[in-house]
Amino acid sequence: MSDIENPFQETLISRHRAEPCTVVIFGATGDLTHRKLIPALYNLAAGGDLPPQFKVVGFARRDKTDEGFRTEMEESNKKNSRQGHDDTLWASFGQCIHYHRSEFQDLDGYKGLKKLLDEFDKERGAPANRLFYLASAPEFFDQIMLMLRESGLNEGPGGKWARVVCEKPFGKDLKSARHLNEVVAETFDEKDTYRIDHYLGKETAQNIMVMRFANHIFEPLWNNRFIEQVQITCAENLGMEGGRGGYYDTAGALRDMVQNHLFQLLSLVAMEPPTSLSADAVRDEKVKVIRSLRKWKGVEEVSKNVIRAQYTAGSVDGAERVGYRQEDRVNPQSMTESYVALRLFVDTWRWQGVPFYMRVGKQLPKKATEISVHFKQPPQVPFATADQGGSRNVLVFRIQPDEGISLRMMSKLPGVQLLMQPVKMDFRYSTSFGKASPEAYERLLLDAMAGDATLFARRDEVENAWAFIDEIEQAWHAEGAQPPMCEYPAGSWGPKEADQLLQEDGRVWRRL
Amino acid sequence: MPSLESNLSVLGQEVPLGKVDKALKELWGADEARDKASLMNFAIYCENPESLVNNTQLLADITKEHACRGLLILNQPNGETPPKTRAWVTAHCQLLDGRKSVCSEQVSFLLEGGTGNQVRNTVFAHLDSDLPLVFWWQGDLTVNFDERLYSVIDLLFVDSSSWSDPKGDFGKLLNAHCQDAARFHVYDLSWLRSHYFRTALASCFNDPLALAELHKLNRIQITHGPGHRVAALLLAAWVGVRLKATVKGSTLVLPEGQVIKIDVKEGKDTEPLQAVELASDTASFGVDRACGSSYVCASVNMPDHSHEQILPADLPTDAALIANLLSRLGRKSLYVQMVPMLQELLAADA
Repeated sequence: MSDIENPFQETLISRHRAEPCTVVIFGATGDLTHRKLIPALYNLAAGGDLPPQFKVVGFARRDKTDEGFRTEMEESNKKNSRQGHDDTLWASFGQCIHYHRSEFQDLDGYKGLKKLLDEFDKERGAPANRLFYLASAPEFFDQIMLMLRESGLNEGPGGKWARVVCEKPFGKDLKSARHLNEVVAETFDEKDTYRIDHYLGKETAQNIMVMRFANHIFEPLWNNRFIEQVQITCAENLGMEGGRGGYYDTAGALRDMVQNHLFQLLSLVAMEPPTSLSADAVRDEKVKVIRSLRKWKGVEEVSKNVIRAQYTAGSVDGAERVGYRQEDRVNPQSMTESYVALRLFVDTWRWQGVPFYMRVGKQLPKKATEISVHFKQPPQVPFATADQGGSRNVLVFRIQPDEGISLRMMSKLPGVQLLMQPVKMDFRYSTSFGKASPEAYERLLLDAMAGDATLFARRDEVENAWAFIDEIEQAWHAEGAQPPMCEYPAGSWGPKEADQLLQEDGRVWRRL
Repeated sequence: MPSLESNLSVLGQEVPLGKVDKALKELWGADEARDKASLMNFAIYCENPESLVNNTQLLADITKEHACRGLLILNQPNGETPPKTRAWVTAHCQLLDGRKSVCSEQVSFLLEGGTGNQVRNTVFAHLDSDLPLVFWWQGDLTVNFDERLYSVIDLLFVDSSSWSDPKGDFGKLLNAHCQDAARFHVYDLSWLRSHYFRTALASCFNDPLALAELHKLNRIQITHGPGHRVAALLLAAWVGVRLKATVKGSTLVLPEGQVIKIDVKEGKDTEPLQAVELASDTASFGVDRACGSSYVCASVNMPDHSHEQILPADLPTDAALIANLLSRLGRKSLYVQMVPMLQELLAADA
């Protein structure tokens, strides 16, 4: 019977079609559920993208009723929904939200959850798929996985699937990531494991592949013959507001941002063309990039190629800011970096000799995540000019905010003399497409429900990224002489040592 | 009723035909706070002088989501007087982040006298180069809808609900579409008006129990608004094509011989499509739209199982329908596959 296809479904071919399912959110009383997950599901409902008879169950420790949880979610949705809040739609959507109270380590709680899900299936008249979303603190992952396995929830009912979505951070080093992967692998198949990196849900990140492989003009130039350097910047103008210091001080910029988000962006820029757009074909190529990163080993190599720093007191956007070590919930003797700059090399035929510079930091002058691809200086004849950085072509992918792409090129200044000036061609999503892009979580939730793992990290990607990061962390925490912890005033573009990193190569950071 | 001349004021600044490009350049040079954006040429062709104001508003609405060069062409052929063309330029601007305006330009043409065949040249001469041409032909497909014109169109919109002779115009459309020179994809607003209805009806059959009822269906009832019978018949044709049925009178006959009676009736509300129900003797699958609502209710009623789901309803305006379609371009349309069965239903409906 289930082999019969719905003959009316063909009109929906261009969108990912979520399969009928129940989503269970662990850590449902947390910020992520309120600000991102429920609004994302609501917006999917508004677009008609949720499967019929959809249910979402919040799983957490606090005592709440279904009705109480729905009311909380409704208030959050009013504040956070991308498309606003419609009472008629909420009246229907809200009814699909349920709450299940349990401790994460209480097997009976999971048995109760299983009973609840079975009741939903009974109401539906058929078993449905199950998607478990781990939005809880990472220290509970082990327990949740164990309990899902013990209760049998890791297997879908009646041949249906059961999948798990894991929020970052996925481990804090290679050892813990491997351990988590083992735990997850004991519970779910790799094909049913979705490690989320919300950067990949962003429109411009997805557009990197389209730009590279759907435009014939770029790919022939996308190599060390024409590209001189690549810079990836992820700047934040915030510090440790809202009690973030507690978590951040245990992680730092390298673990919190570089291992996941920035390496994902690097992979998209540097990867070879995939043989197809299937999840594994794309991820095979991405993981090759991470594997090809030249590892920095030992204090000397790390000192030479990686700069870590903490902000000191300064001002951002006209407001006074305290130094990192004076932030709430941060250890006053902390050796955690709020800024990191790296010089990387992807040791492949395509990228031999091309440096990839990365910088990420807190309390920088503005919020911006951008990738800039700097092309080599053209031959000087017939325009014999001094080698000025400003005369090179630069292709920029703006990931956030103001998503778009720009290309800097040279143009003749009007006048009788042959003078040149760089001009910028700028494509902005908001200007060209009036329609707002879906939130990253909408796309990613829909993909997880539809079984498309392309925009999720695979086990080997995560472990290879941690293997690279671990070498740096080990050098930073080595006995004896360590690479220095540099400083930069809040509101500046980072420590002078990061500028020197590029100056050694005759380069400067791109002005944002 | 306002005269044509008084309506012309909505078109902006009148300029000599040969100086349209210069006028556009001056339009953009006048204010540095404006960004011009264009992803396509979007032309609206009409022969009804009363539609000028409405069409200018339609272009303004479409440009909110799809930056384009808008071309508005009002053709008033009259073989007794020599051809004369007048032109206007204006811009539709949207505020971006509360500071900068993002603008799309509109060039309007009034073609008077002659045989009307100056349409082609007028369109060809004022396209934004390298960008696709989306062409909305309003009203009946007249002699001006000829090969020289449609061969440059990438995407053609028509509205069969406005056709005075649907059978004849569907014939012309299919004939044009199968010509070698034609490379356009065609979208009919009557078809687009049922997009979310079809999606909702499809969602009723997502589970195996519902699918098992497909072979027991024996009637389909569709309720439509005044003037939208073609949209209802297109929906019936879609059901027929998807079930691989043939038309016999006012019934669909499935390959296994099962007969589904088609009942299309006009409702009291104004929404183009108001309800559809597919039913067997024991089950029913329906989509209902309450008047004025932005949502439809898809319901499944089977002996041991029933449920309802709220889903988005079809968009209320022509501009919204087109803007939505332009947002999901690349999707293969089933529309052309529906037209032959629709023609049979129209013949049975006569």
